[in-house]
Amino acid sequence: MDVSNLNVIVGEGTCGIAAGSKEVIEAFQKHAPEMNVRTVGCVGMCHQEVIAEVNDGNGNRHIYGNVTKKTVPQIINFHKGEGDLPEKQLIFSPDDQDLDKWRYLAHQTRIALRNVGYLDPTSISEYEARDGYKAIKKILAGMTPEQVIEEVKTSSIRGRGGAGFPTHIKWNFAKSSPGDFKYLICNGDEGDPGAFMDRSLLEGDPHNVIEGMLIAAYAFGASKGYAYIRAEYPLAVENFGKAIKDAHELGVLGDNIQGSNFSFDIKIKEGAGAFVCGEETALIASIEGDRGMPRFKPPFPAIKGLFGKPTIINNVETLANLPWIINNGGEAYASHGTEDSKGTKVFALAGAIKKGGLVEVPMGTKIRYVLEDIGGGSSSDLPLKAVQLGGPSGGCVPENLFDTTIEYAAINATGAIMGSGGMIVMDGTTCMVDLAKYFLGFTQNESCGKCTFCRIGTLRMRELLTKICDGKGEMEDLTVLEELTEQITKSSLCGLGQTAPNPVATTLKYFRDEYEAHIKDKRCPAAVCKSLITHTITAADCSGCSLCEMQCPVDAIEGQKKIKGSYVIDQAKCINCGMCFEVCNSKAIIVQ
Amino acid sequence: MSQSLEAKVEFEDVLSWIKRIGSDSSSTVPLLQAVQSKYGYLPRAAMDMIIQNTDITGSQVYGVATFYSQFRLKPVGRHMIRVCHGTACHVTGADRLDTSLRHILNITDEEQDTAENGSYTIEQVACIGCCSQAPVLVIADEVSGNLTGANAQRALKKHAKKNEEIVANI
Ligand SMILES: Cc1cc2nc3c(=O)[nH]c(=O)nc-3n(C[C@H](O)[C@H](O)[C@H](O)COP(=O)(O)O)c2cc1C
Ligand code: SF4
Ligand code: SF4
Ligand code: SF4
Ligand code: FES
Ligand code: FES
Repeated sequence: MDVSNLNVIVGEGTCGIAAGSKEVIEAFQKHAPEMNVRTVGCVGMCHQEVIAEVNDGNGNRHIYGNVTKKTVPQIINFHKGEGDLPEKQLIFSPDDQDLDKWRYLAHQTRIALRNVGYLDPTSISEYEARDGYKAIKKILAGMTPEQVIEEVKTSSIRGRGGAGFPTHIKWNFAKSSPGDFKYLICNGDEGDPGAFMDRSLLEGDPHNVIEGMLIAAYAFGASKGYAYIRAEYPLAVENFGKAIKDAHELGVLGDNIQGSNFSFDIKIKEGAGAFVCGEETALIASIEGDRGMPRFKPPFPAIKGLFGKPTIINNVETLANLPWIINNGGEAYASHGTEDSKGTKVFALAGAIKKGGLVEVPMGTKIRYVLEDIGGGSSSDLPLKAVQLGGPSGGCVPENLFDTTIEYAAINATGAIMGSGGMIVMDGTTCMVDLAKYFLGFTQNESCGKCTFCRIGTLRMRELLTKICDGKGEMEDLTVLEELTEQITKSSLCGLGQTAPNPVATTLKYFRDEYEAHIKDKRCPAAVCKSLITHTITAADCSGCSLCEMQCPVDAIEGQKKIKGSYVIDQAKCINCGMCFEVCNSKAIIVQ
Repeated sequence: MSQSLEAKVEFEDVLSWIKRIGSDSSSTVPLLQAVQSKYGYLPRAAMDMIIQNTDITGSQVYGVATFYSQFRLKPVGRHMIRVCHGTACHVTGADRLDTSLRHILNITDEEQDTAENGSYTIEQVACIGCCSQAPVLVIADEVSGNLTGANAQRALKKHAKKNEEIVANI
């Protein structure tokens, strides 16, 4: 059968590329040059990457997952009518629309992410074909700034960057603030190390974020915008930069947009790797060319911000919802969610989860639904133990609280926070004390150093946690940790310090037994803390393959090649790095 | 070793960046980024040229250069390896990627992050946004995910072969 009328669409975000999308595209071009291959942003089914869709342009779609260059010929042959359906790869087909794999997307409600994975982020016409720039045109054709703010008020959207402040209230501050030059900053710093919602939006649907910026700017009267994008996101910078250029050419960005008297332009500023620069006043200092140090508020940026002008900072995801809200109405948005929290929220699932990726669900959904129904539960044989929400500013929610609904108040009640959307899922192989130590190491490293309690307090906490992980902890240390938690929270100037102790507070609250095991029994139940574990070889299981010997960085393993059971670890040399455990195919190495 | 990696700074390059980016104080970060993307670090000579040819003061240049973790003041190897140490990567074994790469590059001194032969520098970064494929690393521009220590070595060897670099151990 002729396949020249078929289109192939391959997802190509940073992560798709990491999974090998370039090779897959090359394979399609090599084996079926007559097919029309194009790329789209990443749909966020990370566990299925590389994803390729074959369609006939009339809505008949076959979607395949885990595609490699080796499976491409099989897919092509099937569509040529010369081979069987590659069932193992199939995610969706016109005959099979309810496959388990497809439910990952089918069980989501996508508003912010509505275009991601469906359009080529470098093509403005594809964005236009999906109602793109319709909202700003509608606004310029006859909505006042007040009406725009009213619509956003009806939607009840709250900032998605973490703090959850109602968007329309913030805009009103800046709107009523005197001055005819105002700034809008899109916060794409995505500082939570373990989250990638904003990356996928900036990279996979940049025009949506630009249109969101236009709507916000029009509403409170900004004439210049900055997109502050994390340094580690080169593809986001590239795609966003191209989108700005194309939007200029189309006449939706620049002077007198669509013939109106509304002018707005956007410049990209790349971050330089400082978590604290996600904080509003630090971000402003950073754009001004200074060290990113927060300052005391008031004055709030909405009154006196960038270069002394009224400035609004909005998160990428907040902005990405705005075009949809204008097109569909605030009420439609508010029909999702609960009394406390309206609309949807995007989460990035990673860690010990079977189906990691991006998930957008209505507020009010249970955490358990996200992790189990959508995420497919634990990726190992071990049950899930906890999930970390909100990154270093957040806390862990233990398994017995997975029925908590995703709402600002309900999550706060657990001691965690909604955060920006990072969800790191953990099973029994994660040590909660080590995790707390990790986060405190992070915040201590990222503290700008201005406040004594943040600077010294986080260092003290990190030292105490290290001491406990090293098996030298005492029960009194836990009391000191609790005291420090209170002092740092109270005496810090910015959100970084105020929330830094959260990971310790929540792990202490829910996993005190793990702390006690480290202190009293000198034992790490998850077998993570290097000072409290040993690696040994069970002679009966060792095949004598010598892999472990080659991998050991300190030459702690000796044995005779091909002689079963001959390998032994010299405990005096072993640094418990775990390399031997990872390479041993015979499961002969025991960590305890 | 570090001496041989010291970059030779071209005055014209720095001037062209100043011309393109600007010479006011809000250009500090982008100017240093331009310098670093060319040389891999911030050579003293380049920073001095910025101070002499813009409105940016010395204390601002050094203040910014030492504040942001992106900036490096020491020369680097010919290629960069960035190992992610974000939360997802931390809980899935980022440490083992470091261990295995340092081993294969024979970097034994804990204070060092560049191989003796100047081939590679290992850098730790916070998160590169591919968390569901953790643990993740980037060699030059190429991201690889779902790695074990042995996979990481394989990825490095592949890169080394293509770029005619010699990696030491194993
Ligand atoms: C230490 C710190 C880091 C932050 N990091 C981010 C970030 O990476 N992205 C973000 O959008 N907001 C971040 N925030 C929150 C922002 O300061 C700000 O509240 C938000 O961008 C406002 O946008 P929104 O109202 O649309 O949520 C951070 C706050 C603090 C205190
Ligand atoms: S709380 Fe920490 S990060 Fe924030 S201003 Fe104070 S020292 Fe800096
Ligand atoms: S844990 Fe690491 S140091 Fe110890 S024997 Fe295994 S490979 Fe060697
Ligand atoms: S890797 Fe496992 S099987 Fe092979 S020699 Fe080491 S302990 Fe024995
Ligand atoms: S595979 Fe692209 S968002 Fe994860
Ligand atoms: S935590 Fe490593 S890529 Fe995000």
